[in-house]
Parts: sequence; C-alpha cells; structure tokens
Amino acid sequence: MGIFGRPRAKTGWTSWITTVDHKRIGIMYGAAALFFFCIGGLQALLIRAQLAAPGQKLFSADLYNQIFTMHGVTMIFLVVMPLGAAFMNYLIPIQIGARDVAFPRLNALSFWTFLFGGIFLNTSWIFGGGADGGWFAYAPNTGVAFSPSHGMDFYALGVQITGIASLVGAVNLITTVLNMRAPGMTLMKMPVFTWMSLVTQVLLLFSLPVISVALFLLTFDRLFDANFFNVAEGADPLLWQHLFWIFGHPEVYILVLPGFGIVSEIIPVFARKPIFGYPFMVFSGIAIGFMGFGVWAHHMFASGLGPISVAAFSISTMFIAVPTGVKILNWMATMWGGKLTFTAPMLWAIGLVTMFTIGGLSGVSHAVAPADTQQTDTYYIVAHFHYVIFGGALFAFFGGFYFWWPKVFGHFLDETLGKVHFWITLVGFNLTFGPMHILGLQGMSRRIPTYRDGYGFNLWNMVSTIGAFTIAIAMLVFAWNIVRSYRRRNTLPKPGPDPWDGRSLEWSIPSPTPEHNFDDEPVITQFDDWWYRKYEENDDGELVKVNEPEDIAMIGDGSRAHLPSPSYWPFVLALGLPFIGWGLIFNMFITAFGGALVLAGFVGWALEPADDPDLPPHGHDDHGTADDPNGDAAALDAPATEEEVTVGG
Amino acid sequence: MSRRVRASLLAPLVLFLASCAKDAPLDSLDPAGPRAKSIDDLQNPVFAIAGVVFLAVNLGVLFLAWKFKRRKDDHTLPHQTHGNTKLELGWTILPALLLAGIGGASVLTLLDLEEKPDDSMQVTVVGQQWWWEYQYDVDGDGETDITTANDLVIPAGRNIDLDIESRDVIHSFWIPRLNGKRDAVPGRSHPLQMSADEPGVYRGQCTEFCGLSHGYMRMRVVALEPSEFEAWQDAQLDGAEMPTDELALEGREIFRTTCSSCHLVEGEGGNEDLFEGSAQVSGAAPNLTHFMSRGTFAGAVFDLWTDIDGNGEVDIDEHGDTLNEAQLKAWLRDPPAEKPMYAPTRGMPNLELSEAQIDALVAYLETLE
Repeated sequence: MGIFGRPRAKTGWTSWITTVDHKRIGIMYGAAALFFFCIGGLQALLIRAQLAAPGQKLFSADLYNQIFTMHGVTMIFLVVMPLGAAFMNYLIPIQIGARDVAFPRLNALSFWTFLFGGIFLNTSWIFGGGADGGWFAYAPNTGVAFSPSHGMDFYALGVQITGIASLVGAVNLITTVLNMRAPGMTLMKMPVFTWMSLVTQVLLLFSLPVISVALFLLTFDRLFDANFFNVAEGADPLLWQHLFWIFGHPEVYILVLPGFGIVSEIIPVFARKPIFGYPFMVFSGIAIGFMGFGVWAHHMFASGLGPISVAAFSISTMFIAVPTGVKILNWMATMWGGKLTFTAPMLWAIGLVTMFTIGGLSGVSHAVAPADTQQTDTYYIVAHFHYVIFGGALFAFFGGFYFWWPKVFGHFLDETLGKVHFWITLVGFNLTFGPMHILGLQGMSRRIPTYRDGYGFNLWNMVSTIGAFTIAIAMLVFAWNIVRSYRRRNTLPKPGPDPWDGRSLEWSIPSPTPEHNFDDEPVITQFDDWWYRKYEENDDGELVKVNEPEDIAMIGDGSRAHLPSPSYWPFVLALGLPFIGWGLIFNMFITAFGGALVLAGFVGWALEPADDPDLPPHGHDDHGTADDPNGDAAALDAPATEEEVTVGG
Repeated sequence: MSRRVRASLLAPLVLFLASCAKDAPLDSLDPAGPRAKSIDDLQNPVFAIAGVVFLAVNLGVLFLAWKFKRRKDDHTLPHQTHGNTKLELGWTILPALLLAGIGGASVLTLLDLEEKPDDSMQVTVVGQQWWWEYQYDVDGDGETDITTANDLVIPAGRNIDLDIESRDVIHSFWIPRLNGKRDAVPGRSHPLQMSADEPGVYRGQCTEFCGLSHGYMRMRVVALEPSEFEAWQDAQLDGAEMPTDELALEGREIFRTTCSSCHLVEGEGGNEDLFEGSAQVSGAAPNLTHFMSRGTFAGAVFDLWTDIDGNGEVDIDEHGDTLNEAQLKAWLRDPPAEKPMYAPTRGMPNLELSEAQIDALVAYLETLE
C-alpha cells in the first residue's frame, strides 16, 4: 500500500517524525521550548543592553519594538506553554497508569503544529521584520495603516497556528484524564500535577477559541480589508482588548498551573510527607480556573471602561488571590514538620514558593484599581509578571527537569551544577526584576526604547541589566549540565525506578520509562498509592518501609503491550499550516499548496490502517491478525484499544 | 547572612529610599495633587500589608528550611500529616476578608477619583502619533478657542476636567504626580480629573504602546498661579501679529509656503488663509500660534528654553529667556534624525531647508510668543 501503510522505524530521525509516543512527544516539546528559550533569552539580553544606560541607541526604535514584541510572544507561546506541554504530555499517562494519551496521533499533530507555528512566526525576521505591536497587539495600532510591515501578519497567523496545537492538545488531555485513569484512581486520588494539568487544559479549551476569533478578525482586517477595528468605520478598539484578555487572563493561569502541580509533587517527596491539604489544593486549582474567566478587565483599568466595570473587576481580582495564597500556605505547611532534603528540585520548588509570593503580592496591589492606574503599563507590571511567570512557572519547570530527568533519560543531571544553576539564577533573577518595581513606581513606562537622563532611572536599569546577564550565565551552567551529564551517563550510578523515594505512579516503572509504560494496569486504592506500597503502618501507627522499589516496581519487557502505531500524517498535516500562512501573506498559490498538504494529511490520517497489517498478531487483545488486520472478528467482544475502564468519578 | 536573606531585607529598604529620590519627575510616590495623594494614601497601607506578608513568607520559608532540615543519617519518616481543615479554612477565610476590605477601600477611592467639583475647568486632550494636543473652550460655547501642544497649562489649585481622546491609535495620558493614567482611544472620550496643589511643572510620558516613537511621546503639565493663568489664557486668545523684523518676515514666507501643509498659525502674522488642514494621517500637527510660550517641543522631547537655574526643569519664568536654538535648528534641519517618525504622513519630514532658511524660520518662530 506504499505510503498509506504505517511507518515502522523505531530508531533514527524518521522514528521521531512519525512517533505518536507521548514520551517522545514530551521530549520534543521540551527540546523545542528550550531552543526557543535561547532565542527569547537573547532578545531579553538585547533589551537589557539597550536599556542599561539613558539615551542609548544600540538599535533603532523600530528594531527595538520588534525585539520586545518577539521576546514576549516567544517566551509565552513558544517557551512557557510548550514547557508545560512537555511535562503534561510526558507525565499525565504515567501518573494515571495509562499506556499513552487518548488520541496519540492528535498528540503528535499538536507538537508539529506548535513547532511549525513557532518557526513560521520567526520567519518574520527574514520577511521584513518581526512582529512589532507588542505581545498583546492592541488595535488599531496593529492594523495595516499603522503597522504596515508583515510582522503583525506573522503574529496573527503564527499565534493562530500555535493556538490550534494547544486547543487540540486540550481535547486530547482532558479525554485522557477523564477516561484513561487506572482502575481505582478516582479523580480525588489523582496526583496534584495531573489535577492542575486538567484545569489547565480546560482553561485552554475555553479561552483559545476567543483569541482565535480575535486573531481571525485582525487577520481579515490586515489581509482582506475588513473593518473590525477600523475606527473610521465605527469600530471600537476596546473590542480587541476584551477579546484578547478574555483569553489573556486564563492564559496566565495556563502558564503557571502546571508549575504549581510540579511543585506539589516535588515538595512532598523532599519533605517526606504528603501534600498538606490535598482537597484544598485541588479545589483551589479549580477555583483559580473558574475565577480566571471573571477578572480579565483588570488589564483594562486605564482603558476607559468606566468606574462601575472597574470596581467590579477590582473586587473579583482581589478574590482570585485567595486560592493562590492558599497554595502557598499549603506548600509551607507541607514543609512544616517534614524532614527536608535540599536537592536541586527542592531548591527550585522552594524558590517558586518565595518568588511567586512576591509576584502575587504585586498582583494584589494591581487589583487596587486606583493604584493600578499608576502602575499599569509601567515597569512595575513588568516586574510583577516576570516574578510570577519566571519565578513561578519557569522555576517550577527547572525543578521539574532536575526531578524527572532520571525518569525520562535514565541518568541524573548533576546535583552540584544544578544547585549552582539555581543560586545564580535566584540572584540574577532578583537583580533583574526586583528593581523594576521601583522603576515602575518612579514612572518608567513600558516599551520605551530609551529613557532620559535625570529621571532617576539610571541606577536600577544598570542593576537590572547586570542581573539579566547573570541569568544568562546560569542558563549556560544548565546547558553545560545537560551536555556533561549526557556524556557521562554510562559512568554515573543508575537511578533505578524510584531514585527519590517518590509517591506517585511514575516511580513504579523503570528509568528511563519503557516504551510501553506499565506492564499491566496498576490498580489504585488511594492517593499516593505507590508510596503506600513501599510503606505501611506498623502496630505503633508509624510508617515503616515494607518493600524496596526495585522489588515491586513494574519491570517487564512490554512484549504483551499493544502500543499505538506511529504515523506520518500528523507531520504532513501540520506542515501544511505554515504554507497556508505564507500564502495568505504573499501569494495564494502557496496557500493552495499548504492546503493540499493539510488535505493530504487528513485523507492519509483517515484512511491509514489501525495497525501495520504485516505485523504478527499481538497481545491478549487479539484484535488483529494478518488476515483480519482491523480485528473485525474480535471487535464485538474485545475493545479495539485497551484503555477502557473508568472507575467511579 | 545568606544571599536570600539579604535580598529579602534589602528590597523594602530600597523601595523606601527610592521614594525619596530627588531627580524623579515621574515619581508616582511623590504626589503633588489631591488625586495622586488619595491613590498614594490607599496604596501605602496595601504596600505595608504586602511587605508584612512578604517577610512572613520569606522568613517563614527560611525558618522552615532551617528547622526541618533532615539530619544526616536520619532515615525515619516524619509524622505524615494530611492536612488540618480548620487551619485551611482559616487561612482561606481570613485573607478573603482582608482582601474584601482592601477591595472596598479601592472602590471608595475609585468613586472619589471620579468626582468633578463644580468649578472644574474643562480641557480636551487629544493624542496622536507622537505628541499631545490640548483644546480649551474658554467661553463654553462648544467651540475650541485655544489649541496648544506639549505643555498643558492649567491654573494651580483648581480641578481640571480632562476629556482624553485620540486621532489615530491608543495612547495614554499620564502625569504620575497628579493622577493615574487614562487611555486615549480613537472614537471614544475618556474623562480624567486632575489638579495640582502648587504651581510647578509636572512631567508625563505616553504610557500605552503607540508605535515607533512611543518612547518619545511626552508631555508636561504646567500649573500657574490663577492670575498668571488668566494672563496666559488672554495671551493665547490673540492671534499672531505680523512680524516687523526683515528676517522674521522672510521666515514667515518660508513658513507659509513650506509648513502650511501641516501647521497652523492663527492671526495676521500666520497662515490662516492658506491652511486647509494637516496632511498627517492623524489629521493634525501642532498649532504653533504661541509656540514660544511653551517650554518644550517635538512631543515634549526637547526643551525649547534653557534650564537656567539648573533644577532639571524649564520653569515658566525661564520661558522667553534663553532659546535652545541649537536643538530647534537641529530639529528643523532634519526632524527624523532627532526623533524616530514615519514622515511625511506620520511625523515631520526632512524639508531640506538651507541654513539661511532655517535662520529665517527661527527668527519668525521667535515672534510667535
């Protein structure tokens, strides 16, 4: 059947292009995100170099506007979101006891769509300049009249494409969590990371369509002479702001909730006691999700909404601080009475607790709407969001890297280098963003390419620049750690299934995770089930170790496992999307080509066989044989895929 | 002392010191009017509470790290506490109550800031790329009587009722020492109340990204003693007189032929008969009738007069003293080299003037008092 058969490669670059394995997809998300982190980080260094002293002209104001816009777009859409996706993709199935996600090919589609969207966005640099309207792209400045270069077209179409990736991923992961948990794992027995991920995916599901609409309106205005944001034709520019921020506010919780989940996994392990207040942790996450849709106009306090709207959103914003604050206290209470080990992951997790608190406190000060009319659009806001995104999400992701690296790759990242990475980052990070609180309150606006001498901005800008380069050094240490640990991987001690004495299911299987994840479906009886297989209460009511992880971990060869088959078509389909984008900007024939690729992708995807018919019949499912490749004979009494059992809620 | 402790202690101290900075004309923590003051009064207790929470969490974490560090060779498990519902309810409800209180205070201040005293003076503020225009309707007949730019001149001690508008993209009008900011959105008009306690100069900066020269779009509020304001207003109502000096007359000719496609000077000495509206996309360029009465130009990026007393500000009594001729000539020579713009439709172009023409123009401009 030629190209319509399933690919067979297990190694080499073809195997990565056609993989539908959630673990490989997670790794690719992580690698791509770290690549874009270098780009976004470089843009940050350029910004800080320019602002180090007053009156500098390292680059033109035009280029500066492109650099800060692309820095924001890159860091949010191409770094923090995909890093979250990396962890969620890798961990959700192995935390809930599943083979893979509900729709493995869709998962691959998400990744390739994100990657091609990110590449597409960055081709703006060679086609006349990067996007230059700011990451939230207020109309009418981003219309063709005021942003005539193609930069904003790349923005609108690029973010649209990466949005498709996340939306599709949301459908996938929600279905996975709701339908594919191991028997006995009710929702309230799931790890906190899985819970926070579920809330994140629901936020994506409901918020992405809104920005999709906004971007369509902008695209039609820019490319097809529509008038959605044309004031002369009666448009109200505030429409853009509302649409953007109805997405944009849930977006910030999308950025940070996976990190909250990660920290909720790390702290209990290195405190040797359970997360304090599991139900509150879960419900506060859900509350953040709900309330996140009710606060968007706090980004618009100076936009002219009028006092009633401003008052309403000020109050609602005050209250969203409550569930977030609860988490901080619960993490601290988890540490209380514990036996703390300060490994690299633990340092990053504690770093989040302290740094995110700072960001949260400045956030509360923004909720005071009158005060926000002084703070908004100044460096005080820049300080706030870097403390919560960098000090929150990114710190958690770094902690997650050190925590799960042995599980993913089968060798540790060096502990000492990890600690050096942490401390240098902590110092550099505070030097960079701490002074921005002061700069903002002293009147420094955002998004200005330079500032005047005599405004009191000089000292703190210089400090901030020094801090930024310090962060860069720390990241070089991280990169060095990755390379060095990889090179020495065969000489280092093996981590085994459970190097940290963990609590959740992923530690019950070998490191690196075998392709099939679990030999058999684990049966769950409680939250932190894996922990309680290792430790049981003795007669005095104390927990004592009754099993070593190596003895009870699921270490099999997976020969009985039926895995989803790889496929070319997600890659092909995703590849069409940037061509559609380029074509819309430059030449409709290119769009037609892209459309053809997308169509080919759809057709191939729909028509390809469920399995490679040349493979021998496999597994106890017995649903396929060489004569009966789709298992029609067995379909009536055996499930076509094995993930089936949903127990309870 | 560990770095984290040092950083934690330093930040609030630094914040405090910063609020006392001398050369900080945009300092929102140094209110010079009642509205900025009421914001300051509201946010200071909030900052204080935030400071307490910040110390509690940071010191708390440091304490936990010290107290509960696992002793070497201690491999026993700690007590496996799962939670404490009462405690958790407590630390959910208490912050909620505290925040409700702050929220209530915020709303009260918010409503307070909207109040418009009866003796308010109305000024329309119009933003466009990349400068601010001010329109005064002195006799209240619905027609603009005075159109100025860059320096918003007001009487001290009286509330100014600003209506903030835009001719092109979204800008934001912000004078930190007098009040919070308000966006200038095309197609809409947003009110903002502002008053200065004392005469003086209060600087501002456009605070909504508005394109290329967003960083070069500034403004000043110049508050005068009420009697001085009256005098200023009367002078502004007159048109420009015909210059008598020969060079200035030459400059007037150049102005009429070269500058009339964008700029207006009202009165006999100006170009009212030639002016047919501005060729700018926004539809306006600064009205120059009383150009010399201002302290800044080019979107308040450059000082028009020299700061003689060296206090960092061109005060009102320094207007008319020593002209910043070099900067003004540099501007006329090649505006895009002085400030990033998309001339000729969004900003002033290089008009290829000769030095002689520039000298004549400056002589003419100097008559526009």
